[in-house]
Amino acid sequence: MGRIVLENVQKTFGEAEVIPPLDLTIEDGEFAVFVGPSGCGKSTLLRLIAGLEEVTSGAIKIDGADVTQVPPSKRGLAMVFQSYALYPHMTVRKNIGFPLRMAKMEQAEIDAKVEQAASVLNLKDYLDRKPGQLSGGQRQRVAIGRAIVREPEAFLFDEPLSNLDAALRVGMRMEISELHNKLNTTMIYVTHDQVEAMTMANKIVVLQAGVIEQVGSPLELYRTPRNRFVAGFIGSPKMNFIDGDAAEKLGGHSVGIRPEHIDVVEGGLWQGRVGVAEHLGSDTFFHVHDTGLAETITVRAIGDVSLRHGDTIGLSPRMDELHRFDAKGLRI
Amino acid sequence: MANRTVPRLLQTPAVVLLLFWMLVPLSMTLFFSFIRYVLNNLRRPEWTSPSIENWRGFGNYQYVWNQDSFWLAIQNSLIIVCGILFLTVAFGIAIAILINRNFPGRGIVRVMLISPFFVMPAVNAVLWINMLLDPVLGLQGIAVAGINDIISGLREAPLVGGFFSLWPEFSPISFRGAQASSYAVIMMVTWQWTPFAVLIFMTSLQSEDQQQKEAAVLDGASAWNQFRFLTLPHLGRPIAIVVMIQAIFHLSLYAEIEIVSRGSGNKNLPYYIGELVNNNIGAASATGIFAVILANIVAIFLLRMIGKTLME
Repeated sequence: MGRIVLENVQKTFGEAEVIPPLDLTIEDGEFAVFVGPSGCGKSTLLRLIAGLEEVTSGAIKIDGADVTQVPPSKRGLAMVFQSYALYPHMTVRKNIGFPLRMAKMEQAEIDAKVEQAASVLNLKDYLDRKPGQLSGGQRQRVAIGRAIVREPEAFLFDEPLSNLDAALRVGMRMEISELHNKLNTTMIYVTHDQVEAMTMANKIVVLQAGVIEQVGSPLELYRTPRNRFVAGFIGSPKMNFIDGDAAEKLGGHSVGIRPEHIDVVEGGLWQGRVGVAEHLGSDTFFHVHDTGLAETITVRAIGDVSLRHGDTIGLSPRMDELHRFDAKGLRI
Repeated sequence: MANRTVPRLLQTPAVVLLLFWMLVPLSMTLFFSFIRYVLNNLRRPEWTSPSIENWRGFGNYQYVWNQDSFWLAIQNSLIIVCGILFLTVAFGIAIAILINRNFPGRGIVRVMLISPFFVMPAVNAVLWINMLLDPVLGLQGIAVAGINDIISGLREAPLVGGFFSLWPEFSPISFRGAQASSYAVIMMVTWQWTPFAVLIFMTSLQSEDQQQKEAAVLDGASAWNQFRFLTLPHLGRPIAIVVMIQAIFHLSLYAEIEIVSRGSGNKNLPYYIGELVNNNIGAASATGIFAVILANIVAIFLLRMIGKTLME
């Protein structure tokens, strides 16, 4: 079980209010991702849940029990840190067994659990090495191993993949998702990378300046962003925004359209000139200038479309995929 | 070849100077240790000048080896060095951890903590033995007299008087006496060198990874276990460095021993050599060679220890 409820949780550092009062519920077994630009308070929120920071006011409940004043080790949560925070003087075996040893478990039982965790994470060959002798991905797995042996109510991940190279990151992303499917334990995952959020989460919490902008499943956020910030943050490449008169004509104070919802056709509604063309093979991204709508409009064409720099391009937006926002940036 | 000769030529002055610096005294000591050489002997005036004719072989070594005072000096050297090392490391770690947190006036406290290190060893010894440890006029004498006064006052008191009349009168310890003079040296040198340990441990503590500590908190480690499993291993290397540097310095203590008791009860190897030098240069040189051997044995142990911590 691991249902985590935040009620009116607020955090201030001196005068600065980092997190204005917020409410949030994470259901048991959910994979929740906190996402937002750096400095949005997502890590602080995670540390509040872990108990590494004290809440200024409000309550945190795990499975209905108020844990606001409970010390971190008694909350039944395990955390994986960005720097992995492995204990450098201990072998992998001792690192993974450390929380059990602190819980005064029998040595034989500790050994059995460490072996089990190591086989789940493919670490069996490295048990007697020290963290300094491991690669980034292996260290990451040791950190996860140290978390899973405790059989916690919930896992907390603080940007765990940001120190890995791109290829490894994709692999570890899959492994963490698989781990979640296998253990079915609540996981809270903090990242600034919306791709990680989209691929891993059941529930995404988009944060900006400590305020929750929207909570929902990845596709909910993609299809019906509540406001302009969420619309711009979720999706890659970013949504195009059109302001001013051109937007008024389309029925909003500002109008957004995703690059994948604009078709490249001869004699389309909008005309422009190709700036940079990114040919990926499966897709081609055009950065189109001089459309009279916005500085650049990004367009995705499926397959390899042979338009080059400086060519004239015709664009046709799918009108039912337009996102219209009012003067306050809220969705109409 | 030229690109090797030039650097070697350039190194030569330094190497020659170093060789000269170390080899000349060492070979002179070796030479003196194998001959009869005394400063004053009316019956055998030929022994008063260093000459190969007075060859004595291992006679000087045998003479020193059979002296009880030589073995006592080695024992005192080791007791004093080990005592100082243990206390400075223990106090150093404790104080470094205490002042590693934020509190008002931390800067001033740090400066004051380091100040004993700037006191001259002889001054330090005079201050301690006269002002603090003197059994009559020093702080110790005054404190013991004060405690005795309070107890004798309580003997007259109702109810508890009977209990306190059973208490003995405390007598102050004479630190110049042979029984306690080693402890006096250990105390004063510990006071002087703890700041050095604090300084090194403090810088090391500041480089400790805070996320590791947070991870340990979440793993359920108590404050003691965090210290035991994270901080202490983290301090392994600085401890090795503090031990090595201090061992080198304290094997050659002299001023403190001279001032506390002129070697009564706390005579270490350098002081023993110093006494022999008053007349018997041959025996003093042989003892010097023993001291070199002892220092090398200590150095081998220390280097092994340091090598081990540096490998990790």
